[in-house]
Amino acid sequence: MARRLTTLRVAPLHPVAWWAWAILLAAAAARTTNPLCLGLILAVAGWVVVSRRPQSTWARSYGTLLRLGALVVVIRVVVQVLFGERIPGHTLFTIPSLALPSWLAGVTLGGPVTADAVVGAACQGLRLAAILGCVGAANALVSPFRLLRCVPAGLYEIAVAVTVAVSFTPQVIASIGKVRDARRLRGRAVSGPAGMRGLAVPVLEGALERSLALAASMDSRGFGRRAVSSTRQRLASAATLAGLLGLAVGVYGVLDSGAPSGLGLPVVGVGALLVIAGLVATSVGSRTRYRPDRWAGREWVTVVVSAAALAAVIVVGRRDAASLAMPVYPLALPAVPPLALLGLLLAALPSVVAPPPIDTSVR
Amino acid sequence: MIVFENMSVTYPDRERPALEGVELAIGEGELALVVGPTGAGKSTLLRSVNGLVPHFSGGRLTGRVLVDGRSTADHRPRDLADVVGFVGQDPDATFVADIVEDELAYSMENLGLSPPTMRRRVEDVLDILNLHSLRQRAIMSLSGGQRQRVAIGAVLTAAPRLLVLDEPTSSLDPISAEEVLAALSRLVHDQGVTIVVAEHRLERIVHAADVIVSVPETAGGVRAGPPAAMLALSSVAPPIVRLAQVAGWDPLPLSVRDARRLAGGLRQRLVVRPAAVGRPTPGPVVATVRRLSARYGRLLALEGVSLDLAAGEVTAVMGRNGAGKTTLLRHLVGLRSPEQGSVTVQGRKPSEMRPAEAVRLVGLVPQDPASMLSADSVVAECRDADHDASLAPGRTRATLERLMPGLSDQIHPRDLSEGQRLALALAIVLAPAPPLILLDEPTRGLDYIAKSRLTVMLRDLAAEGHSVVLATHDVELVADTADRVVVLADGEIITDGPTREVVCHTPGLAPQVARILAPTEWLTVAEVESALVDSGSIR
Amino acid sequence: MSADATRHGATRFTRRGALAVAVASLVGLAALSWPLFVHLSAQNNQAHAGDAPWVMAAIIPLLLVALLGEVTTGGIDAKGVALLGVLGAIGAALRIPSGGTAGFEPTFFLLFPAGYVLGRHFGFLLGALTLFASALVTGGVGPWLPFQMMAAAWMAYGAGLLPRRRGRWELAILAGYAAVACLLYGLLTNLWFWPYGAGTTTSFSFQPGAGVGHNLARFLAFDVTTSLGFDIPRAVVNAVLVLTVGRPVIAALRRASHKAAFGAAVEVPAALVDRGSSELRPVPTPRGASAVFAAAEDAPDGAQQLRR
Repeated sequence: MARRLTTLRVAPLHPVAWWAWAILLAAAAARTTNPLCLGLILAVAGWVVVSRRPQSTWARSYGTLLRLGALVVVIRVVVQVLFGERIPGHTLFTIPSLALPSWLAGVTLGGPVTADAVVGAACQGLRLAAILGCVGAANALVSPFRLLRCVPAGLYEIAVAVTVAVSFTPQVIASIGKVRDARRLRGRAVSGPAGMRGLAVPVLEGALERSLALAASMDSRGFGRRAVSSTRQRLASAATLAGLLGLAVGVYGVLDSGAPSGLGLPVVGVGALLVIAGLVATSVGSRTRYRPDRWAGREWVTVVVSAAALAAVIVVGRRDAASLAMPVYPLALPAVPPLALLGLLLAALPSVVAPPPIDTSVR
Repeated sequence: MIVFENMSVTYPDRERPALEGVELAIGEGELALVVGPTGAGKSTLLRSVNGLVPHFSGGRLTGRVLVDGRSTADHRPRDLADVVGFVGQDPDATFVADIVEDELAYSMENLGLSPPTMRRRVEDVLDILNLHSLRQRAIMSLSGGQRQRVAIGAVLTAAPRLLVLDEPTSSLDPISAEEVLAALSRLVHDQGVTIVVAEHRLERIVHAADVIVSVPETAGGVRAGPPAAMLALSSVAPPIVRLAQVAGWDPLPLSVRDARRLAGGLRQRLVVRPAAVGRPTPGPVVATVRRLSARYGRLLALEGVSLDLAAGEVTAVMGRNGAGKTTLLRHLVGLRSPEQGSVTVQGRKPSEMRPAEAVRLVGLVPQDPASMLSADSVVAECRDADHDASLAPGRTRATLERLMPGLSDQIHPRDLSEGQRLALALAIVLAPAPPLILLDEPTRGLDYIAKSRLTVMLRDLAAEGHSVVLATHDVELVADTADRVVVLADGEIITDGPTREVVCHTPGLAPQVARILAPTEWLTVAEVESALVDSGSIR
Repeated sequence: MSADATRHGATRFTRRGALAVAVASLVGLAALSWPLFVHLSAQNNQAHAGDAPWVMAAIIPLLLVALLGEVTTGGIDAKGVALLGVLGAIGAALRIPSGGTAGFEPTFFLLFPAGYVLGRHFGFLLGALTLFASALVTGGVGPWLPFQMMAAAWMAYGAGLLPRRRGRWELAILAGYAAVACLLYGLLTNLWFWPYGAGTTTSFSFQPGAGVGHNLARFLAFDVTTSLGFDIPRAVVNAVLVLTVGRPVIAALRRASHKAAFGAAVEVPAALVDRGSSELRPVPTPRGASAVFAAAEDAPDGAQQLRR
């Protein structure tokens, strides 16, 4: 099976489709604190990752982000226990109160700790953890290189720089190891500030030499050959700047209730569109793409199921907002919103629809 | 194809030109080999072909360089990308993508070729360079030779009519280097690409060359001519040419095949047996390795290796990449401590010693000597080394002076040539006078002059009673330098014996002279020459 | 090795680019600190307070891409791109062992000398790019990333604005700046996290509708209790690194910038000087028989329509 896939290339799912899937799922997570929904979202993302992630370094980051999520839950609970607002509920235990300096605006430390508060905080933490899980899934499923190939024309140079950075990082790490060894060979300290100093200079010098060789190679291979058609470029640039200004006005509109009502979200939207238009319209001259990622049926399915999951959660939220929240004060069992759960389950479909990953490290 | 008309180049902040009055013409479909000592201006010449000099480097260009009728004065490198392909020394420093296929397509994307054209050319280049099985691989998972072939492929897809390569093998081990040079000679012969290449390993490519361009130290003396004539005059020449000169062959043979046809008479003239040329007997044992095994994760690197290293002996450790050579050296120097078995140097375990003590016992010059250098001048580097190893001030500088006389004090270590850098690293390692000296692949990037200087250095060290160990692929260096050869395969010692015996009976390890004069067991030109002098057949 | 080679920096923004930086920075700052300044009447603040965090989370990435696109399009050459990439890789590599342990993030360290030596514009790009690349490498791309990129970009930009001094003062100024900038970085990124991280039910949670002073005090309490313990060690580590390693690093960067000959004069035979570095002129298509490929297969003109 693996052998066949290396010779016959099945194009992996479009990177933008994976990210759209993850962001929509994360948006669904953001709208609920119901632990059933959040648990399902984590499970769905996890299942898709397990079945479709490639063998690569960035794919291992999923675990890291999950651990970070767990840490967020813990921090959230600890902060609640120590500094929580004291609302009556099922008191678990009481920690002695401590008055903090007056400039800390009435922050109190200690007091009775209620089960309501702890569970509520844990569920708020779980919501962040679920968002982290979705984001981590996208990180694991999409090769950064493939993602960088999808950027609009206006970001071409910066995407090349990022690509170089990402592919050069393992070499930097290897060169740190080499220099560390070489320092021992000279009979020198390997740790401490002196060690850092001896490490920094050879690594940096080596890398800087590399950058010059790379630049020569890129220049010789036609980098920067784009013929800038100046009218189009000026228009694109103007659109970007106008978009920026639009965003500025829009932010003001959203934040200041005194502003005219049309000045908020609509202006932000227009600004965003202008910015994107500017970036896409930037002249690329005669640049072309080799085997660009295609947007086909699989991509649509991936995005649509995830959008459906979000829609289900929104609909349930409109109809019965309470069922999406963890009931505290008084504490109760969470509701079971069937429509939301069903919708979220749908988002697991990419684990079947997306093509299995290609192994790029061995034949 | 390329015409230089009275071309001179002066870099910014320099008073004297790097190249002066170059008059040169290289024709369509020719392979031009650029030779000359390190630092003479080979790179400047090559880089001026596609306009990197002066557009990239800055500086002043006078005269004209015409490539396919376009002047580099008003065409920047990127404007010439479809005519000239440029490949540098270090393939790793050229990649902008992570997957082989994408890297191959990069220059075509910049040129704006249509997708069907791109598809077809990528397939073509994959076949020409024999890369098709690697197309989906991450570039960083490839070997050095494969990477350099990808780098060549990445410029070839732009369909240049001219390929310029600046020492494409200098950062590769000899096996990878052969792989790359073989690909180049295929390109010349089968595809008719014009190639201009600067290369140290003349023996592999000189037979394919049509023109040799010699770039001497003096700025004004660039000259071109047919290979045999140019090599006869050149200070840098492969062993085959030097043997031919000793034997008085004419015309000069450029391949082992041609030389063997001429060598019948020489074999008969060499009446003495080569074994008579003796080596001093080794001294007491300096280091002992017993049943050493090592693994990286699940990968076995060494398996039950036992070895004694004697004072006054130069030992070459050979074997393919990944056979365990470097791992063995790392154990000997104490960078790794043995998991199984033992390593002792003069009765002590290097891995358990403080670094500052260990340097007095055993020293290693790593593959990349630059990783040892961190100061901003040669003299500061030497001062630091004296301080690190608590030596008398000036000791390292004095050692360096002996290895490489006349090196300027104030020059930045990064501006040294490969050979000079190696000498500096070797001086740092040698200054505390450790009885055991290890060198990992020391001839990477060295030209013939630097290599012969290294041979003299190593023989002198052995004569002074050091035990010297070389991990290397370079058979010519082994033939010139080593008393004993240890061959590793898959982490095990498969052969251990005197150099002459081992290399003459292993065709893959035989130097050029041995291949020409087989079945007689001569290894080096110097041996043959002195035997001929002794027998009175030449003076 | 004089400052000449570095005076212009490795990249230069156009006037429009500089304007974009100014506008985007202002909006970005507003979008970061909205919880402090949002001043809403009681009845409509609920809706806005619900929307605002998400709107802001979407605006910053847009700002950032607009900005980066605007200042780099055609304004950065191969040398600049390669240098950005390589220095970004070092930053990303420095990020990996630290893994958020007790604020020991030497990632930032390189930004200060780089911004100082290679110029504020290069620093701005490097700051944003380093964080982005390290997030890609470590799999840390998330909603927090644009804010971190923005903050790091400002940090390195600021280093480029520092006064030039020679000798001892040079390092002292840079180290002092590094400490302050690291603390501000912590404060800014924390400001973004605060409304989400502190929930709504603790005594230092964001309170929509409360006054600036009130929320500022609550935020400071949040910052002091949750992250100052990370921010201070980070500031100290980076300042100490600048003091100990700064000199050779600055020297290495100056050497590289000199070697790369940014903006060095190119002199070619007289009649052609002006045409040499101006806009790309049409270059003859290689219709002639290519050695490897058959002739007449190229159609750069037809390529345009096939571009996505």
